[in-house]
Amino acid sequence: MTAHDMKHAGSDSARLEAVGGRLSRVDGPAKITGAAKYAFEQQLEGLTHAVLVGATIAAGKVTAIDTRAAETAPGVLLVLTPDTIMELKGASDWFGNPPALPTYAPLARTVTYSGQHIAAVVAETFEQAVAAAALLKVSYEETPAIVDLSDGKAGDGIPIDMMTKEWGDAQAAFAAAPVRVCAAYNTPREFQAAMEPHGLIARWEGEELTIWEPSQWLDGMARTYAEWFGIPFENVRLVSPYIGGGFGSKALALAHSAVAAAAARMLGRPVKLVLNRPQNFTSYGGRAATRQTVTIGADKDGRIQSIVHRGVNETSVDGMWVEPLGSVTSIMYATPNFSSKQNVVRVNTVVPGAKRAPGENPSAFGIECAIDELAHELGMDPLQVRLINYAEQDPQVNKPWSTRQLREAFAAGAEAFGWARRSHAPRSMRDGHQLIGWGMAAGTYPVRRAHGEAVVKILADGSVEVESSSIDMGQGTYTILAQTAAETLGVPVEHVSVKLGDSHFARAGVAGGSRLAGVMTGAVYKAAGQALDELIGLALSDPRSPFQEVQANTLVVKDGRIASPRGDGPELSIAELMHAVGRERIEAKGDSLPASTTPEERYKNYTTIAMSIPHTEGDWSRHSWCAHFVEVRVDEDFGTVRVSRVVSALDSGRLYNPKLAESQWKGGIIMGIGQALLEEGIVDRRHGRVVNGNFADYMLPTNADIPDIQTISVGIPDPHSSALGGKGVGELAIVGIAPAIANAVFHATGKRVRDLPITLEKLI
Amino acid sequence: MRDFSYLRADTIEAARNASARPGAVLLAGGTTLVDLAKCGVAEPSTVIDISHIDGLATIDVTTDRALIGALAKMSHVADNAEVKSRFPAVSEALWQAASAQLRNMATIGGNLMQRTRCPYFRDPANYPACNKRSPGSGCSAIGGVTRGHAVLGTSEACIATYPGDLAIALVAFDAVVHLGERRLRVEDFFLAPGATAEREHDIRPGEVITAIEVPGSAAARRSTYIKVRDRQSYEFAAASAAVGLELESDGRTIRDIRVALGGVATKPWRARAVEDALKGKTLDEVTIRKACELAMEGAVDHGANHYKIALAPRVVARAILKLGETA
Amino acid sequence: MNDQVTLSPTTLSIHLTINGRDHALDIEPRVTLLDALRERLNLTGTKKGCDHGQCGACTVHVDGERVLACLTLAAQVEGRAITTIEGLADDDGTLHAVQAAFLEQDAFQCGYCTPGQIMSAVACIREGHAGSDEEIREYMAGNLCRCGAYPHIVAAVRQAAKELSA
Repeated sequence: MTAHDMKHAGSDSARLEAVGGRLSRVDGPAKITGAAKYAFEQQLEGLTHAVLVGATIAAGKVTAIDTRAAETAPGVLLVLTPDTIMELKGASDWFGNPPALPTYAPLARTVTYSGQHIAAVVAETFEQAVAAAALLKVSYEETPAIVDLSDGKAGDGIPIDMMTKEWGDAQAAFAAAPVRVCAAYNTPREFQAAMEPHGLIARWEGEELTIWEPSQWLDGMARTYAEWFGIPFENVRLVSPYIGGGFGSKALALAHSAVAAAAARMLGRPVKLVLNRPQNFTSYGGRAATRQTVTIGADKDGRIQSIVHRGVNETSVDGMWVEPLGSVTSIMYATPNFSSKQNVVRVNTVVPGAKRAPGENPSAFGIECAIDELAHELGMDPLQVRLINYAEQDPQVNKPWSTRQLREAFAAGAEAFGWARRSHAPRSMRDGHQLIGWGMAAGTYPVRRAHGEAVVKILADGSVEVESSSIDMGQGTYTILAQTAAETLGVPVEHVSVKLGDSHFARAGVAGGSRLAGVMTGAVYKAAGQALDELIGLALSDPRSPFQEVQANTLVVKDGRIASPRGDGPELSIAELMHAVGRERIEAKGDSLPASTTPEERYKNYTTIAMSIPHTEGDWSRHSWCAHFVEVRVDEDFGTVRVSRVVSALDSGRLYNPKLAESQWKGGIIMGIGQALLEEGIVDRRHGRVVNGNFADYMLPTNADIPDIQTISVGIPDPHSSALGGKGVGELAIVGIAPAIANAVFHATGKRVRDLPITLEKLI
Repeated sequence: MRDFSYLRADTIEAARNASARPGAVLLAGGTTLVDLAKCGVAEPSTVIDISHIDGLATIDVTTDRALIGALAKMSHVADNAEVKSRFPAVSEALWQAASAQLRNMATIGGNLMQRTRCPYFRDPANYPACNKRSPGSGCSAIGGVTRGHAVLGTSEACIATYPGDLAIALVAFDAVVHLGERRLRVEDFFLAPGATAEREHDIRPGEVITAIEVPGSAAARRSTYIKVRDRQSYEFAAASAAVGLELESDGRTIRDIRVALGGVATKPWRARAVEDALKGKTLDEVTIRKACELAMEGAVDHGANHYKIALAPRVVARAILKLGETA
Repeated sequence: MNDQVTLSPTTLSIHLTINGRDHALDIEPRVTLLDALRERLNLTGTKKGCDHGQCGACTVHVDGERVLACLTLAAQVEGRAITTIEGLADDDGTLHAVQAAFLEQDAFQCGYCTPGQIMSAVACIREGHAGSDEEIREYMAGNLCRCGAYPHIVAAVRQAAKELSA
């Protein structure tokens, strides 16, 4: 049965529950009543509280930590410093590469960024731990730090050769092009800023470790814990049924995780460690600051002849993070000549991490602003220029798109927005004190894929359980897996219970790269199909089954009831059948890994990303696409920019649940509005320290900043991208919003701002 | 935070007596005290909870004046029909401050005592040098990230911005603060840093704010508060203005005008130069914009806050023009 | 309560009235209402997002008005009626109109800011600040949502306000 054969039952409610239906979140009731327990809300016997202390210098050494006052403070159980914390073993990275060093010290003696964890205090109560931590006296030997990307000490950085993409002769073609634009585009350090802070509860029972931690990747993080402590992978249990937002930040076990687990080991009691909000800005990487130059040469009709792109992002002093800045530049438009190169620059900052659409997000800011600048130079409609240069196939790998509904997105978005009514001259639209601007941009995100597995059980009472260590951080995994199982098995969705977020369940890779829905619906579809086959097989062949006499070679299940497809013979509920044949359960594991996969490869598949399937593997190039149209109002006196309308048309292939997909899309759009207008990690260059690490000073959009957002789905089922025809949703919509807004601001004001965020002082 | 003793005062007298103890601090709404205690900036040894005292939360508005008890909640005053009608700038300054939840907690008296949002002031662990926190230790902001810092009323000791909104409207309309028997103009209650950045308010040990009184006037009746910030809400001002206007019967000549600035100075800033330049003049845009530039007399920028010098006069001008359009 | 806690000299014995029930607590004065709820009373529906009054995730009602539990000392609200998300639905499980609207409008994703949003919304409607979408946006601006559920939150508040006024 392929995706296209999936049956949709006749009634409205059944359509709602089927894959593609607008079913409300099945985890909704728990979330809206406060019943959902997030990681550090577990109540444990003997729980203690740990607080971390961070370095106040950006580079240098900790020469001494005076712990006496802290040790004797009320309620204090343990004071951890680099000298007193137990030694951990080095762990492999997320590719599975072995560690550089055999040991790992989560508390640092050598400081390479401000806020780096250097000590921890564990006490009976949270208040006691916080108070005692403030009593530590730390001495440093400070050395000069490289404070940000533009620090003169940083140099040009390290070339990342594997990011180089070239075809044709881009420099020569540019030089020969009659129309040319060239500009530099910058994005600052940004933060994921999930509402739930990072943190965990760690508990040892003998050699077994249980961790309650918000996690996008239970299996990967469990591997890390196992390696740190030199215990078998099976001894680690990671529990994460509810996660208060991740956006890429919660996929790895980091220093604070190690400290909590070590403290628990040393103390013999469970330890809860939660990073306070400022520590959430320094303890793990947000999006690296980036710089790009984009150079486009075109003929007078607007056809691109050459794109030359150079990019650089900051990384840490001893870690390597590459934000693939040429990722959209190389595929969005057709061009006969192309060159993209990228460097990274070492900066005294925490190693940057993944924030929603790493690479694609800043890359799109560059190319989608540049193409608009080209349109202005040509005196042409920016939509027209994009259509003229439409890439009919992937220009980088020269493969056809698996599906690309981008023209459809342009058309649908433009129509709904009213783009045709745009007067193209800058500063040509206004309303009282407000200059009005209409801008557009395209976005894309690759379809990342992986092999997955899931367990589906049919129980004696007719209910169904789906089990996986994959997670729901708000993307709707609980719901779409319930829909998939319900539809495949033919049972009402209320009979399906989905169990996620426990590493003792069936294996799962990272919920990242917008791949989880495709992986897991495929795995559940397979497992449910197998369970269904077994159920029907049992019904047809077991001597105790009432269907034994029926002359049928198959049966159908609808609304939880089994019958012959012709409608003759008995009709039983699943529970009645299970009872009749004396079965407690049917259990099936759907697994898309080849049968020849060894246990080592299987472990590697789930605990590293080394076996991810490239989006350009085989005959196709697989991506999600979108077109954003935004209206901004800029106060001509104040320079404040407000987004007043957004229409986005998006191609995420087949939507497993449009209601939830729309929420994801809108979430990405809103995050993009924050990126364009508000968000910036501001570094005090004297100390290499972020000074706005809190929610009053790091500006997230509020409800008052966000207008009505219209999203239009233009996707069609893409059988090359996933078993059920969907493509990535979660990271698509943020890509292209910032350039659309920058383009709209230019249209409103005539001022081209190429440094994010577009704040008022850049416009007055 | 360090632990402290907690006492409830049932009367103002009890509060006065208790607050004379060393290390004693009054707790009304808690939105400043608890926040700063968590930052390690406030380290009281005794917290005196005055939020249960009766009789100090009344809102009494007549044509002559508004008399508002110090324990009245910001939200209640903002939504009060009489305040909205006779002192719209006061209501607008209140509802544009903070968030609905904070306005339900915070009191009028406590709001006057609100401290600066300077990130260096708020972070003693990373920035020990702060003349407000430790007199004589230096200023960590000067030479640092100064986008939000003041351009008016600064000194070499301190450039921290006064972040509040209500006090801007109060200063524009010559409001008076009641400290028991002692009365003081709100404008004089706030102190510029000078060489004593640690002294922000003219309040003596044992004194408790009991009420504010705002004199009624035609200008107060025709007033507004415009607050400009990066995001639409839940943020302190990049620049703000409380403005009141009274026109002659010809509907064009300015009889009385009040202007005070927020978000740009170390204390609520009455812009008398603008008022004097516009009294008796015609309400026209060119004249108004030119006069508003006078608001920035004496302004000193520290780099990233330079934009405030351009922005603040425009906010004042917008407020005047808005009032001129509507009766 | 953890039996191994050493009570400090400043420990208070207080009674908090939460969702109509009385809770006895021995706590230090510095304990916030938020930490009392989450760490000592197993009422973890109220969330900690920032602990400094900057995100709204900890919104609860005190005497029917929405406030932030992270900036409220537990001792301060002895004698007041505290309502948390756990106390919003009826005893028989019937959801409050706001809760039901949130579910229908998909006004949440990860769910972490959600209890605060709902408590804030209930009060917003009661305050009379839900008269238009614009007013809802402004009066709900004190509740941050990083997942970006804002447009659906507005729709839910609009829907619930209409239902509650009928």
